[in-house]
Amino acid sequence: MPARIRLISGVTVAALVLLFATLAVITQGARTGLRAIGHDAGPQVVATAGLYLALSDMDGQVALLLLMGGGRDERRAEALLRYERSRTEAGRALLRASALAGDDAREGRTVQAVLDGLGRYERTAARALLLAEQAGYDAGPPPERVLRTYRAATDLMREELLPQAYNLTLESGTTVRRVHDETRSSLTTGRAVVAAAGVLALGCLVALQVYLARRFRRLFGPALVLASAVTAMYVLTGLHVSAREADALVAAKRDGFDAVLLLARARAIGNGMHADQTRYLLDPERADTYEHTYLDAAQSVLYLEATSVHAYHERVAAAAAAPEGGRRPAFAGFLGSALAMRDASGTRPVLAAYDRLQRSDADLRRRASGGETGQALSVLLGPLTSDFDRYDATLLDLAGQHRTSFERSIARGEDALADLWFLLPVAMVSIAVLVVAGIWPRLDEYR
Amino acid sequence: MSVRALPAAVALAVLLAGACGAPERESVAGKRTVVVGVRPDLPGLGLRLPDGGFEGYDVDVARYLVRKLGAGIRLIPVLAAERERVLLDGRADLVLATFSVTQERKSRVAFAGPYHVSYQDIMVRADREGIAGVRDLEGKGICAVEGSNAAERVVEERGVKARLVPAADYDRCVALLKEGELDAITTNDVILAGLAAREKGRLRLVNARFNEQRTGVGIRKGDLDGCEAINRAITDMYQDGTAARLIAKWFDGTGLDLTSVHVPRFEGCE
Repeated sequence: MPARIRLISGVTVAALVLLFATLAVITQGARTGLRAIGHDAGPQVVATAGLYLALSDMDGQVALLLLMGGGRDERRAEALLRYERSRTEAGRALLRASALAGDDAREGRTVQAVLDGLGRYERTAARALLLAEQAGYDAGPPPERVLRTYRAATDLMREELLPQAYNLTLESGTTVRRVHDETRSSLTTGRAVVAAAGVLALGCLVALQVYLARRFRRLFGPALVLASAVTAMYVLTGLHVSAREADALVAAKRDGFDAVLLLARARAIGNGMHADQTRYLLDPERADTYEHTYLDAAQSVLYLEATSVHAYHERVAAAAAAPEGGRRPAFAGFLGSALAMRDASGTRPVLAAYDRLQRSDADLRRRASGGETGQALSVLLGPLTSDFDRYDATLLDLAGQHRTSFERSIARGEDALADLWFLLPVAMVSIAVLVVAGIWPRLDEYR
Repeated sequence: MSVRALPAAVALAVLLAGACGAPERESVAGKRTVVVGVRPDLPGLGLRLPDGGFEGYDVDVARYLVRKLGAGIRLIPVLAAERERVLLDGRADLVLATFSVTQERKSRVAFAGPYHVSYQDIMVRADREGIAGVRDLEGKGICAVEGSNAAERVVEERGVKARLVPAADYDRCVALLKEGELDAITTNDVILAGLAAREKGRLRLVNARFNEQRTGVGIRKGDLDGCEAINRAITDMYQDGTAARLIAKWFDGTGLDLTSVHVPRFEGCE
């Protein structure tokens, strides 16, 4: 009765086609997802965060140059050099961000706006520096004319360029979340289909054998048994690989990308805080505003409830001195959330560096409000700057660790996919050959 | 295995494939009508009109953002004290009501945006001399409005010993200021600008610009799709010139410094 055999064979083939098609679709989806996260959004965070840092540093160096006035030739030369370096870096980061924005029109417009604004910023900053040189004043707040020009420059930087650069970084986080969620849900769905199609195909293959065995009184057909074994193996491999894909995606996002993004934001805001310390000394009229901006930024990095900078300094000191318990510390804020992923031994050095920075900040503000402008400037140029650099280096180190784990997860996911892709045609062809080899002789007996 | 069960199994597999991936709770991003809470009591920002409608900067921003989401809008009035509650109990999907982003509020509700960055400022009588910054408020009478912490912040955060004069709302503050019972009113500059515009030259802003305030879009915690969609709409609003146009429409001539448009730095949706 060949009709029965044809029906079962037909369903078997349909189930196998469904199985392989689903596997091909979900692995292709996972591959696209991994590429979008690993080779597009990941580098984009690095590029745009680099843009923010370079821009923020440019304005910080201009503020420092203006604050130093005529003296300290060596430090002035150093600041000028750093300004130039940051300018070059900003240009390169803009190019990279533009390339990575691709055909996203909204991101392209933002990159263009930053580029336009950067030209205006450079002109205004250069004019402030020129006016300062002409005025020839001692270290400390410059004459009003210089300050007015600097205010125009820094407002442009802080109120237009920096937020745009920052939002570009955030947007890549949005992309990663979307791709991650979509890929994960398609992997979950795909796994269910693979399992169902696999069970169906195996069931058909077994049914076919049972039917043939009864009908032709043969114990078993070796080709069909082999086909069943290959199908079973491939279904299991497919399920296993897609589970590993999902794991790799989750690990890449949670332990890698999310932490890298949090630390990039902490570093960006931190750089602005350091520049605000300079601006606080530079512009007495706005000193209150810059002090508040500093506190606001500090609380977004590591949130501790405090209504004044002094209270914040004390809370940070208390948090850093807290006895080491087994529990993970629970802070809010970018740095706080990044630290929540680490154990106490990873957290302590960062907290200690942050505390040292806050102690120097307290020293700076104490001297400035006591009228010791020269002393305050020495604190800024000496201990405060080195404390900031050390703190920033601990963040960079931490971010490096998470970036490595991010890249490892992406590579792990891609390797697993490559194995599956290699096996896919082999399995398809071998199963097809075996099924035909198993059925053909039986159908022949009817002829 | 029965042969007749096979097509059923295939159908089941296909059904399974379609059923997954549906969201558990509805996002603002997919709604047909979005309910937005706006202030009924602040001229220039959110003000209820005699005909029951609303007007102001926040109202116009709400209309723009909801249009970008591709939905219709329904406005409901919310006072300062109700802003979190209407989000938590689901009466409003979004709140645009001079809702400042704070870490403390973020533990209960989420914020998209901010869509506007402003500063705390000081308003005095037009002929008043000698108050140019927050330090000049030492020993002066300033208005402490119920439900707002702006006046307390001057005393607590700045350490400026001003005399706090309690008042039920900003209308009462303005009356006290005009009568000479008060020296100044201090709060968000856009609120002051709206009040100053209504008084037509009798009151003025000193443009002291201290305490940066970020005004965000209140949204239910966990609605990441909605939050991200709103952030994209806000980016559009700044890129296509709508933000600058709306700020000029509502605050031109109020004494507010409009020389530059401050692009907001997003809080991020998480």
